Amino acid sequence: MNWKPGLALIAIAAFPAAAMAQTTETGTVAVEGSVRPVCILGDPNPALVDLGQLSASSGIRAGRIAVIPTQTVTLPGSYCNFAGSVVTVTATALTSDDTSSPQAGFSRAVNYTASASNWASGASSATTAALRDGSSPTANGTGATQPLPKVADITLTLSAFTAPGDLILVAGNYSGTVVVTLGPAAIPSEEY
Amino acid sequence: MRRNAAFLTAALALALPSLAQAQTVAGDTDSKTVGIVGTVPAMCFGGTLSGDGTFDLGVLVDLTTGQLRTDLAAPDKVLLGSYCTSRSSITVSATPLEAQNYVSTPPSGFSRTVHYLATASGWTTTPASYDTGAATNNAATQTRNTAFTGDITVAISNFSTSGGSTLRLVGDDAYRGVVTVTLAAVN
Repeated sequence: MNWKPGLALIAIAAFPAAAMAQTTETGTVAVEGSVRPVCILGDPNPALVDLGQLSASSGIRAGRIAVIPTQTVTLPGSYCNFAGSVVTVTATALTSDDTSSPQAGFSRAVNYTASASNWASGASSATTAALRDGSSPTANGTGATQPLPKVADITLTLSAFTAPGDLILVAGNYSGTVVVTLGPAAIPSEEY
Repeated sequence: MRRNAAFLTAALALALPSLAQAQTVAGDTDSKTVGIVGTVPAMCFGGTLSGDGTFDLGVLVDLTTGQLRTDLAAPDKVLLGSYCTSRSSITVSATPLEAQNYVSTPPSGFSRTVHYLATASGWTTTPASYDTGAATNNAATQTRNTAFTGDITVAISNFSTSGGSTLRLVGDDAYRGVVTVTLAAVN
């Protein structure tokens, strides 16, 4: 194995000459390529969930959070072309556009549970736990690993809407986000 | 030479999986964001009135003079658990105590009306107040700049006979007035 790179180049150049010396010769040319591992999420439908009025307008719970039905968002045709993928959900509580600290007895945050299903066994869920002043609004959840390449419609459900301490909600426009991430179960260290 | 060429080929083949693994890190994750919105309208709740909702002053006059008692008083009323979810105003208005049966103009020396001051405190720094005998009541409406929940105390005081303290009140078993407290959301 006292091999040197210069020797290999000489050997390759010598092959055509050897072929001409025989009647039949079979050569092999390797054809190679790669398929890049990729995960694609379908565009959320709907991309914006409008819950309408969050507070009850009459009755004993007037001013406090109303019963908000479960909301469903579909991410159609989502796929990963490799084994070992997971869905992660990052949910941010709804908070009022009035960022001032609320008076005692009031909340400017609405918490909820975001759950992404139909990818692996179980679901990827995150339940926000913002405080009444809107602080600490974000929660994460990662589901089980999908052991095979898969294409599916991922269903995102938003449910269990609550206000911290069931306090009265401050008037205003509220907004939050859910980020759904589809990717490898464990990201190896980069080896470039 | 053939052995050397085969070694080179094997070396290249081994290198390819390593390249693919590096790409896994680079671009195999996708994220999508879903927005959530909702609204909470401005609303106010006047609270639950303590007691039976009536200021019972009893007999209004000093039985020896026939004039308005100077020690008239009644326990405060409380609006429990009042709230507004936004900036708000509180307004108090009142009607004087008037004889309900003796409705004609009383004769000289008599009156059928008692004025008083109604206040609503606990909501704003300066209580809202309304004097039934005053021509104007600039303090009747007070504004609070933040959402608030709490109890509102409603009181009546400063009783006076309409027309002057020397007048006597006409006999009637029902003198009545009304105090109204209004909470309103303000944009």
